[in-house]
Amino acid sequence: MDLETLLSFKWSIMTPEFIILGVITLLSLLDLFMAKSVNRKLLGWLGLAGILGALVALLTLMGNSPEAILYDTFRLDSFAIAFKLLLLIGSALVFLIAISYEPKEGLTEYRGEFYYLFLAALLGAMMMSSSGDLITLFIGLELLSISSYILAGIRKKHSGSNESAMKYVVNGGISTSITIFGMSYVYGLTGTTNLLDMARHVITLADSQHIYLLGLAFFMIFVGLSFKVATAPFHMWAPDVYQGAPTPVTAFLSVVSKTAGFILIVRILMVIFYNIPTEGPGSMPLLIKVQDYIAFLAAATMIIGNVVALRQKNIKRLFAYSSIAQAGYLLVVVASMSAFLFDTLWFYLGAYLFMNLGAFAIIQLITQKTGSEDIAEFAGLYRKAPILAIAMAVFILSLAGIPGTAGFIGKLNIFMGALVVEPAHYVLVSIMIATTVVSYFYYFGVMVQMFFRPAANDEVKFKLPAGLGVVIGVCVFATILFGVAPNVALDFLQGNFNQFSDFFQ
Amino acid sequence: MENAWIIPLFPLLSFLFLIFFGKRLKEASAYIGILLSLASFVYSLLVLFERFSSPTHKAESVWLTIGDVQLTAGFEVNQLNALMLVIVSLVSFLVHTYSKGYMHGDERFHVYYAYLGLFTFAMLGLVLSPNLLQTYIFWELVGLGSFLLIGFYFYKEEAKKAAKKAFIMTRIGDVGLLIGMILLFWQVGSFEYDEIFAAVEAGAVSSTMITLTAILIFIGAVGKSGQFPLHTWLPDAMEGPTPVSALIHAATMVAAGVYLVASLFPLFSASETALLTVAIIGAFTAIFAASIGLVQKDIKRVLAYSTVSQLGYMMLALGSAGYVAGVFHLMTHAFFKALLFLAAGSVIHAVHTQDIEKMGGLWKKLRVTGPLFLIGTLAISGVPLFSGFFSKDEILIAAWANGNTVLFWLAVVAAFFTAFYMFRLFFMVFSGESRSDMKHVKESPSVMTVPMMVLAILAVVAGYVNTPWFGTFLGDWLTEGNPALGHGHIEGPSWIMIVATVVSLLGIFLAWLIYSKRSLSRDWLGASTLYTILYNKYYIDELYELTVLKVTKGLSLILRFIETFIVEGIVKGVSGAVSGLGHLGSRFQSGQIQRYGAVAFVGLAILIVVFAVTGGYLK
Repeated sequence: MDLETLLSFKWSIMTPEFIILGVITLLSLLDLFMAKSVNRKLLGWLGLAGILGALVALLTLMGNSPEAILYDTFRLDSFAIAFKLLLLIGSALVFLIAISYEPKEGLTEYRGEFYYLFLAALLGAMMMSSSGDLITLFIGLELLSISSYILAGIRKKHSGSNESAMKYVVNGGISTSITIFGMSYVYGLTGTTNLLDMARHVITLADSQHIYLLGLAFFMIFVGLSFKVATAPFHMWAPDVYQGAPTPVTAFLSVVSKTAGFILIVRILMVIFYNIPTEGPGSMPLLIKVQDYIAFLAAATMIIGNVVALRQKNIKRLFAYSSIAQAGYLLVVVASMSAFLFDTLWFYLGAYLFMNLGAFAIIQLITQKTGSEDIAEFAGLYRKAPILAIAMAVFILSLAGIPGTAGFIGKLNIFMGALVVEPAHYVLVSIMIATTVVSYFYYFGVMVQMFFRPAANDEVKFKLPAGLGVVIGVCVFATILFGVAPNVALDFLQGNFNQFSDFFQ
Repeated sequence: MENAWIIPLFPLLSFLFLIFFGKRLKEASAYIGILLSLASFVYSLLVLFERFSSPTHKAESVWLTIGDVQLTAGFEVNQLNALMLVIVSLVSFLVHTYSKGYMHGDERFHVYYAYLGLFTFAMLGLVLSPNLLQTYIFWELVGLGSFLLIGFYFYKEEAKKAAKKAFIMTRIGDVGLLIGMILLFWQVGSFEYDEIFAAVEAGAVSSTMITLTAILIFIGAVGKSGQFPLHTWLPDAMEGPTPVSALIHAATMVAAGVYLVASLFPLFSASETALLTVAIIGAFTAIFAASIGLVQKDIKRVLAYSTVSQLGYMMLALGSAGYVAGVFHLMTHAFFKALLFLAAGSVIHAVHTQDIEKMGGLWKKLRVTGPLFLIGTLAISGVPLFSGFFSKDEILIAAWANGNTVLFWLAVVAAFFTAFYMFRLFFMVFSGESRSDMKHVKESPSVMTVPMMVLAILAVVAGYVNTPWFGTFLGDWLTEGNPALGHGHIEGPSWIMIVATVVSLLGIFLAWLIYSKRSLSRDWLGASTLYTILYNKYYIDELYELTVLKVTKGLSLILRFIETFIVEGIVKGVSGAVSGLGHLGSRFQSGQIQRYGAVAFVGLAILIVVFAVTGGYLK
């Protein structure tokens, strides 16, 4: 590749990624050369500025026709923009939580890397959502994963954090190997790594043995990727890792990393497996054939997440199971494959982003103040800090899907999506409703603690750091806004992204 | 008018503010409530004036899109809404002011004001709603406000019971409303009033369906407006603070049923049967409640039954195609009934009892309340030149013009009853010897009397906006540009007015003979069976007790059996299974990563095997 070709690419569509990359470089250099005495929180604010800059750059890219550069390995279609928006907003909020993070033993020494590792993970996620090629997709995935492994263990002297990182890296290794093994089948049968080329190739497949192999590849890729979104059967790492990891990292894993996982799943499923005919060209796509399997996994995930959550006493562990359950709801979207798959997924991920990050901001505040992660620490919160308790109540109500909150609209959309398709997924929807009812028990368990239990000790005074205050404020506002006026978000989505019609172009 | 949506927000603000900070403000809460309700009144007045000169304003935005269906939310200012806005916000403002004196010293003073704010917000929101769904939401919210305020003295057993009863009785009606609403939506595909009317007019809905939905919706109105047979909650609701009775159970909320029928009038008028049902229920309620009112001994209960009866009048008017008459009476009634309740509150405030047999001779002691109460009584009795006279006259004319001779004469008799029992009440409370145990009776403070004076003025003059002598301004304005609502004024024979006058004067005269001059025996009904029946309100509550409650109790016994042995068994089984599963799940989560990886592998293997076997690829 000579310089001329290199310059002929329209690099401007990568501006958000370049900004993040630039900030990562800047932060690592600053961290290296700045005097030890300088508070590294400065780097956090710089990183946040970088994310906001990337967000602005992304918004200016909106509305253009889809572009692809670097021989179709990097593509910017409306799907990529819409979901990158979620990644960036999520990361910005996680950053605010991270800036206020003060573990017991301190984080001075590693605070710098704490921030730029987040950015590296974000960069990986962004690359994933824009990649048009299995190679870049995989690289993005690994960049995200490896950064996350380190982040989980950033508290080097904390055994829980170490355990969490260890478990995460081993399970991550297993998942990656399964995924890439599945990918190799697809590559072997098509001879290309480019997603759209693959789609063009597989559409003509007629040999049933080849299709069988692709079926195997589907299961391997899907199970491998289910690690990233923490759904059955690859969900078991989540509670251990979420519990041990620093709270901002847990928040990141449960929101940004999960969003990235769904981006990946949708991209691969819809581009490759939706185009594989089961019995010769023009017949039923393979993806429809395996729909029931996805539905089964979604049901299993919802049941496991919600049922096991009932017995949790540790708030972070509770939220780990809750996030497994939420991923199950999102899998229902994928399984139902309605015409509004992208819209529904996007809206629910957005709603989930706000309600879950808001909840984690409060969890971090409480666990840090009391030094314990027991749910009982929430007792009497309403008396001690009524505003915090009400904010937490909003997030919990939204997670439980109570009307008036974004979570309710999100769930409603999922129900509608699952019921409008032919044949409608009655069983899946029933399971979703039943498990949602189960979820009320543990969500309201936290509410009961906050509102109806006396506080163990009244001395604890809450001082709300500015960063957390902003996160909580934004999240409460968004959760209620999208619950009361969901069309604000849906109109934005429909007005700016051409119904994602350029996804296959 | 574009900003009419702000009007309900003032009381909402008051509610929110007082809920959060009321505890610290204590009785200063009143000022916030009063100021904010004044703001919404002033704004409503501006909207009303603007509405005189400009057309109906409607603003909506899409609230939720589900597939092809778009649910909208917004507000509408048409003639009826604009009028209702002023009535509701004015009475609310006056009651806010009055309550400052009446509730003085109550421990939960700020809570009371917060609830008032919530109720006013809901009521104004209801009035502004441009579609059935929004109406329904506010309809329920209004019910909640009423529930909270009836049960305000929750430490009183009767108050608790009354609140529960009100909630349940109106809920029965609401089920009808909900079903009717859903049927309409199914038929028309929209909750919008305009679209429903257009569809009805275009004949897109079958006539049976129109009748069915109209009657179902009317059932909702029956519950809310205390019409027979769902009227029993309204007299019990008098357990709430008296200003609340004035606001909710006289002037505004109970009129919501009438308002609902009025705003859906084009739907009702498309079905003869529905209109006739409304008229019959209305006329029957009017005379039925009035006859109970003849013998009640509790000052507030007399007024409550009179409210039920007057609401029946309004329904009769609407059912007789007298749209203007119904709305007109709704307006005048709001003023004079609120006045009567506030004056009754002032009396109760002074003598600390509600039993009229223990009162008497208060005219000399309550020099302000007495004349004000008299004005209200004259107005409700339909004495010429007072507002009630004109609106009642309109209703009688409408009933006559519609050809329902029976209903017309029922209404005339009810008017006689009304005049009689209202003056019975007046004479028993104010005339005669003052009783020895009422020496220290003091007039209420001006914060209570001034709102009454305002209402008294309105109770006199409000009738002149629509008279056969000076022009039917209100009627013309209400029906302007909307032929479906009928004519602004219905011509009727002039003897009706004379009959109405004679009847009301006769009632007053009779009451005077019995209760003031005492030339006739006071217990004219004596211990007769009729008296007992009337005093016991036709045994409706007992009837419910015997039939509905007995059946329900029997049913509940059977259900309890099922509950304990079958349902609970299942519940225990399910919850046991769920928690057992949870236990198993968390036990399974051993912390060993080997197991986690193994689970993933096993899961993958199972998936692949099942796929291979069922997919037919293994040949």
